Amino acid sequence: MNFDYAFILNTLPAFLKAVGVTLQVGLIAIATSLLVALFNATILVLRTPYLQRLVGLYVELARNTPLLIQLFFVYFALPALGIKVSGFAAAIITMTFLGGAYLTEVLRAGVDAVPQAQLESGRSIGLSHGQLLRYVILPQAGILSLPSLFANFIFLLKETTVVSAVAVPEILYTTKSYIALYYKTYEMLAVLTLICVLLFLPLSLLLSRLERRLQHGQFGS
Amino acid sequence: MKTAKSSLLLLPLLAAFLLAGCNKTEEPPKPNVASQGTAPASYLDKIKARDKLIVGVFTDKPPFGFVDEAGRYVGFDTDIGRRFAKDLLGDENKVEFVAVEPASRIPFLQSDKVDLILANMTVTPERKEAVEFTNPNLKVAVQALVPQASAVKSLDDLASRTIIVTTGTTADIWLTKNHPDWKLLKFEKNSESLQALANGRGDAYAQDNLVLFSWAKQNPGYRVLEQTLGAEAPIAPAVKKGNLELRDWVNAELAKLGEEKYLLKLYDQYVRKELGDDTKPESVIVEGGKWQG
Repeated sequence: MNFDYAFILNTLPAFLKAVGVTLQVGLIAIATSLLVALFNATILVLRTPYLQRLVGLYVELARNTPLLIQLFFVYFALPALGIKVSGFAAAIITMTFLGGAYLTEVLRAGVDAVPQAQLESGRSIGLSHGQLLRYVILPQAGILSLPSLFANFIFLLKETTVVSAVAVPEILYTTKSYIALYYKTYEMLAVLTLICVLLFLPLSLLLSRLERRLQHGQFGS
Repeated sequence: MKTAKSSLLLLPLLAAFLLAGCNKTEEPPKPNVASQGTAPASYLDKIKARDKLIVGVFTDKPPFGFVDEAGRYVGFDTDIGRRFAKDLLGDENKVEFVAVEPASRIPFLQSDKVDLILANMTVTPERKEAVEFTNPNLKVAVQALVPQASAVKSLDDLASRTIIVTTGTTADIWLTKNHPDWKLLKFEKNSESLQALANGRGDAYAQDNLVLFSWAKQNPGYRVLEQTLGAEAPIAPAVKKGNLELRDWVNAELAKLGEEKYLLKLYDQYVRKELGDDTKPESVIVEGGKWQG
């Protein structure tokens, strides 16, 4: 059995389609996770009573259950309660549930990382709570969160492979289908690895460049 | 920083080379070893030296391979594995079962994770290219399971609907080849596929009829379409491609078990109650390995 390059070429159109699905799931999930996280972070920063507790509970629950189990729960168990969503929707829901929690933590950490002296200085020149938040805390917290925010975006993109378990035709699903049909295990796993590298590495480089530029804007060189 | 990042780029390439490499070095010598029969490193000796036969089995496909209440791997296929261990190593407990899914059966053989696959694998021309089948122990055809109330009457009705399959099964392969435009929904495990059908995620579940008959008998509200997808085909144990020594041993063993009607005994123990008395054992089991489809 030799490495079958011709076979790989034949599968490329299907893999291209699968990359589209992976990016779709990943990018939508990142956007919705970010929305959830911004909402939660606002609650945490404003120290809203009760809601603050609820956010803490959510973060713990989401971060301590594996994505695969959340996915199986939504896809296979919820129909018993009359809630039936497609595989794609189940993927977005669970990835948002998980991603939202991680990103909430990132934003919270960013706010916590603003030096205490900044707050005290702000108050000493007579800024109100709202002004303090708007002109002192958020701009700095945003920049401070960026590195781990971007790291979590990449993490979420990589997590998309898990959703192959509920028949969403992304890259891992496509790989496994081909292995199952034609037994080209080595070829297909090599293609999958290569796709991951080509997909995630440039994104990672792009984000770290963006991050440097934004930090340059904040702190100068 | 720069050099560190660009050298990272090389890692997957390296991995690809390693994969391609181990592939090449392992394949060629084996057929020689087996055909000469005099080589010192015989595969059977390797198993005897480790004092354990490693067998890939199903864990969610009763009555062929499943887990009983005590958590033991049992079933028609699984128990054949125990018997092989007894005849080869003198003790039926000198066997290590590895749980496999339909799609992982051949990769497990290719990567030397198991000596033998005893997981209800249908012999197909493509699979013959990838592994070494022994003589068969069962025969099977693919059919489709639909809910009792479904409007689906025949296979052609499925053209415009969604069909659930388990990745890498004969049903998956047959449908992909013969009806590439039909919509398939693929899951890794037989149990997940059945759950998906129960949840209404597809209109039918195409699978080996033995599995469907047994499931439909225990779960009212479903029926099996009469038409088969493709012809009846043999199911056989499989070993790694080129491992003729172990294949020949299994064939001799199956012939021996045929003389004592061992498969019929296992059929009575596991399969008969699932299929009912209407089904003739001869229409399901292949005693002594004497049937080629």
